Amino acid sequence: MTVPYEKIPFAGTVPSPQKENEGMITGNWRTRRPILDAEKCTSCQLCWISCPDSSINLGDETSSLTFNLKYCKGCGICNEVCPVGAISLVPELDFED
Amino acid sequence: MGVKKRMSGCVATANAIRLADVDVICSYPIRPYTGIMSELARMVADGELDAEFILGEGEHGQLSVVYGAAAAGARAFTGSSGVGVMYAMELYSPISGERLPLQMCIADRTLDPPGDFGSEQTDAMCCRDQGWIQGWASTPQEALDISLMYYRIGEDPRVLLPQYACQDGYFVSHILGEVDVPTQAEVNAFLPPYKNHHVLDVKNPMIIGAQIEPQMGPGLQYQRYLAVEGSRKVIEEVHAEFADIFGRKYDPWIEEYMTDGAETVIFIQGGHAETGKTVVNRLRNLGEKVGLIRLRTVRPFPTKQVREALSKFKAVGVIDNSVSFGIACSAGILLTEVRAAIYDMGDKVKTVGFVAGLGGEMITHDEFYKVFKKLKEVVKTGRVEKESYWLPFEL
Repeated sequence: MTVPYEKIPFAGTVPSPQKENEGMITGNWRTRRPILDAEKCTSCQLCWISCPDSSINLGDETSSLTFNLKYCKGCGICNEVCPVGAISLVPELDFED
Repeated sequence: MGVKKRMSGCVATANAIRLADVDVICSYPIRPYTGIMSELARMVADGELDAEFILGEGEHGQLSVVYGAAAAGARAFTGSSGVGVMYAMELYSPISGERLPLQMCIADRTLDPPGDFGSEQTDAMCCRDQGWIQGWASTPQEALDISLMYYRIGEDPRVLLPQYACQDGYFVSHILGEVDVPTQAEVNAFLPPYKNHHVLDVKNPMIIGAQIEPQMGPGLQYQRYLAVEGSRKVIEEVHAEFADIFGRKYDPWIEEYMTDGAETVIFIQGGHAETGKTVVNRLRNLGEKVGLIRLRTVRPFPTKQVREALSKFKAVGVIDNSVSFGIACSAGILLTEVRAAIYDMGDKVKTVGFVAGLGGEMITHDEFYKVFKKLKEVVKTGRVEKESYWLPFEL
């Protein structure tokens, strides 16, 4: 349904930080899922910087980073940029969910 | 009162940009517009202008730099010519859609067929539908004046749109004319500092140009449509205020030259109009009822004003200095727009299209005479036998 133009923010600007948009869920586009090997990860954060959809949540001292699978499209850039090979891409059909 | 100097259109534009006290300039060389950037680079180096002068890696990069600069709240300037204008095509729609009122000067140049560098309005006319304010200067003085006026129009909170300040390559950009360079105090009184209501700010983060859902698309386009249509009123206000402060009065839409009692007129845009005026003078001296109309602002197109002005004449010759291969009526963009504007007058005003001055060639006196001769023939016979002519081959 077309949104009335008065209800659209001026020039389409969006207040930030706004990380999630229920109208634009893209996780179901994914054919390969990123899986982290926490043992190998050095927390260099290159994947976090490179993710075009801001779908990587940084971990802290006690937990490792996680992927926001609601929006991750499975583009594989994180896998490409990881200098230690800690992120692998596994076909979605290998998972139950 | 400022100082009168002789200068080219490029130097006149550079002076306007200096007086507008821009914050960010992004350049990439291509003739003929590059004369503006060499003058601005000198001004920055000599301390006459305090601005960031950034070298783009190409025109796409140039427009990307000023896009970001304008989003960060800077008054930004860039420019290009010919194929350079086309290389940046991707950026024009987002810049106007995100309502960032930066300015781009286009000193027009033919697109490669291949490797011609002459003046032709095709490059800038290809960008006319991107939601930018656009018009042509016909003298160096006007080039300076429209740059100042366009910043003021574009930055008006009721408009917030980018602007193409165009001038004919070489014919305006590189030929000296007398230019009254205003004082900084006059310009400060006319052009307040740039303030946009959405500015990138680390303390108050926002996303400009976010991915949106398709159902928001129509509304966003409609917002931009309203901005372009709403700019008509602001364009008129700003021209009136400019005349008050600087003493130079321009009709915002069309300049009428010797049209009193005229039966046939030429409708044209840009510096070639100055050649056309000398032909009008000559023919008037010979007793011919001729005149000339110069379009000053092409976007938004002054439908109402063109209709009113043209209703007085019997035949109008529309000269296009750009190509649009395969267009309706087989001439150019201005002919189709003029015909659309006067549609409801039926057959009362006859229009004929002429494509002339392509590739950097002059539109010669001889060609203007031929156009008027053809229009006289149309008035005499009451019929338009052929709706378009490519000069010099078909007339």
